[in-house]
Amino acid sequence: MKNSPIYDYMLSVLDKAEHGPVVDENDWDFNYINRTIKDLVKKYDIQWDAEVMVPADDDLADRLFEAGMELAREVGVYCLDTKRQMKWSQEELDYILSTAPKEEVLGLGEDKVTVRHRLPDEDSPITTIGGPYGTPVAEELFVPIMVSYAQESILDYIDNATLVSTHGRPIKAGSPWEAVGCWQEAQLSFEVLERVGRQGMPIGCAEDSPSAIGELATTTYGGFRLTDWHHASFISELKVAYAELTKSIHYQHTGAFSHNFYNTIYGGYVGGAEGLAVAIVAGVILMKATLNGTTFNPGPSHAHLSCNTFPAMIPSLSLGFQAISRNTKLMTSSFPRPVGGPCTKTLLYESAAMAVATVPAGISILEGIQSAAGRITNHVTGLEAKFLAQVGRASVGLTRSEANELVQHIIPLYADQQNLGEAIQGVPFEEAYDVETIQPLPEWQGMYEETCREMEALLGLTL
Amino acid sequence: MADVEKLQGELSELLLVEDPDAGLAWAEETLKGDIGVTDFFNLVFTPAMAAVGDKFGRMEIFLPELMDAADRAKRISEEVLQPMMAASDSDQELIRGKIVMASVKGDLHDIGKNMVVLMLRVNGFEVFDMGVDVAPRDILDKAKEVEADIVGLSSLMTTSMPYMKECVELRNGFGLKGNFSVIVGGAPITAEYTAEIGADSFGKNAVEAVERCLALLDRPAIE
Repeated sequence: MKNSPIYDYMLSVLDKAEHGPVVDENDWDFNYINRTIKDLVKKYDIQWDAEVMVPADDDLADRLFEAGMELAREVGVYCLDTKRQMKWSQEELDYILSTAPKEEVLGLGEDKVTVRHRLPDEDSPITTIGGPYGTPVAEELFVPIMVSYAQESILDYIDNATLVSTHGRPIKAGSPWEAVGCWQEAQLSFEVLERVGRQGMPIGCAEDSPSAIGELATTTYGGFRLTDWHHASFISELKVAYAELTKSIHYQHTGAFSHNFYNTIYGGYVGGAEGLAVAIVAGVILMKATLNGTTFNPGPSHAHLSCNTFPAMIPSLSLGFQAISRNTKLMTSSFPRPVGGPCTKTLLYESAAMAVATVPAGISILEGIQSAAGRITNHVTGLEAKFLAQVGRASVGLTRSEANELVQHIIPLYADQQNLGEAIQGVPFEEAYDVETIQPLPEWQGMYEETCREMEALLGLTL
Repeated sequence: MADVEKLQGELSELLLVEDPDAGLAWAEETLKGDIGVTDFFNLVFTPAMAAVGDKFGRMEIFLPELMDAADRAKRISEEVLQPMMAASDSDQELIRGKIVMASVKGDLHDIGKNMVVLMLRVNGFEVFDMGVDVAPRDILDKAKEVEADIVGLSSLMTTSMPYMKECVELRNGFGLKGNFSVIVGGAPITAEYTAEIGADSFGKNAVEAVERCLALLDRPAIE
């Protein structure tokens, strides 16, 4: 039987991991990544005014795309298991980018969701996703926490939390407990969908599978469905593990929908804001080339704060999305990871800034939120995701220039609260919501309503 | 007596310039003056490296610049200070402590751990970096082999945290509690978790990790 061209392509990706040049990992970080990015920033003149939060310079966006493409082609990806460099020719990259869909439908029945490629400044709708995205939560709170997202009609679908334990035992990476944990995650997720009457809604999963064990065990009959939103990822910077390649091959065989993500690090080997922008573009291209997903999120994370709402990072992300959107059909997602936690206005301001900065940049999906930088157990609620989606939808149709002005109004509301290493943790779910009714408690609801009014007045948007 | 604050400032700047030999030549020249090698190490070299670490903490420089500075400082130590101290029969210790560092089993993330490694190095620690996805038993063996003062464990994921607990349990089970301390860190790690598993300390970021390691060795922080 003859393989399809795309299947042969995926086999060639695995070949690269086996036969590429052997490279020392320190050499990779310092010379392949850092030195190359420094050179590319100079070569393509990647710079912008530090006051600008949402650049609106198409030529700069296109130069950034060229820089990212050159990084992708000349450096490629590092396979952590084989210690080899995986490299692509321009023809191979052009081929795999040409196979990318402009539109994809997830979910089942009445709960189907369409994700579409968007251009900068376009007024077509975005897709919105809510969930804690791997933020740890207690077993007994998984269902109420996930219901707090799934019950919000403004959210098209959900992405799961990570269970702190499974049946009272710790979930150890690479052990049978991963399979146990992911099966519990799947069963609890279906209970969530059942409770809100949205059984066909896609689920971002599996969030308890650091190796491939959990994902492979549960993307099967009775477990997570092919129409859910399965994950495979890179490790910073531009590294991939066998586990993620294994997941990708599994998705290729089963036809499961695959979302790829990568957290390039601001202040790490990529350097500052300009290098970050180059790495964002290369990361998205290379995730497509390596993992062959359908939607892509490039992080990033601050080296000390773990957030991506730090002011200097926002233009890098906005410009990176513009570069991808203008030059490919790839569908990208913006994913705020704020320093603030539930029941803080900081969380809402940070989320608003990211929504306004990235929706006009041409993203397809606005997803979130890893509140309190996703660090603190149970510090997540559905209300912040609802707020994010409201601001995101209200930002559809804004031009980048208009968005730039608005983001400049929002930044001063939170910037001086982003102190080194400190999450503004807020309160856990059970202090922000009534766990029985799964409705926000008055303090959090009041803060949310007040901030909505504040944003409407400040930004001139209707939430 | 030399103006040590001025010298500190000069060295911390030289550690960050393009020319990798600039600090080396400057140290040799400075030590021909009226400052002895022991005073130079304690009052100029160590605080200058700490100042570079602080710049990274404030994101005034980025990880690659910190790596360059650590390499340059190492060369000054090995090529200038150590020979002079050997010649002067000084009993001054150039190393503030030995630390074994690893991202625990199941965790392939290394940038956070690498940042801590570099911050420890620029603050005068000898660090044995075991990399990522390291099994508890291997970490213990390394700590015994190098007679570590501290073992530093990093985990970015809740699913790797059980291996931190295993590491502490193995240390205690093998009767090594008096040999070395265990410090833990990483995005999901809290002070409560640290206490729960019986680790000795917790650093919520690279800067705090250095402070806590100094405290574990009962050494004062660098002013």
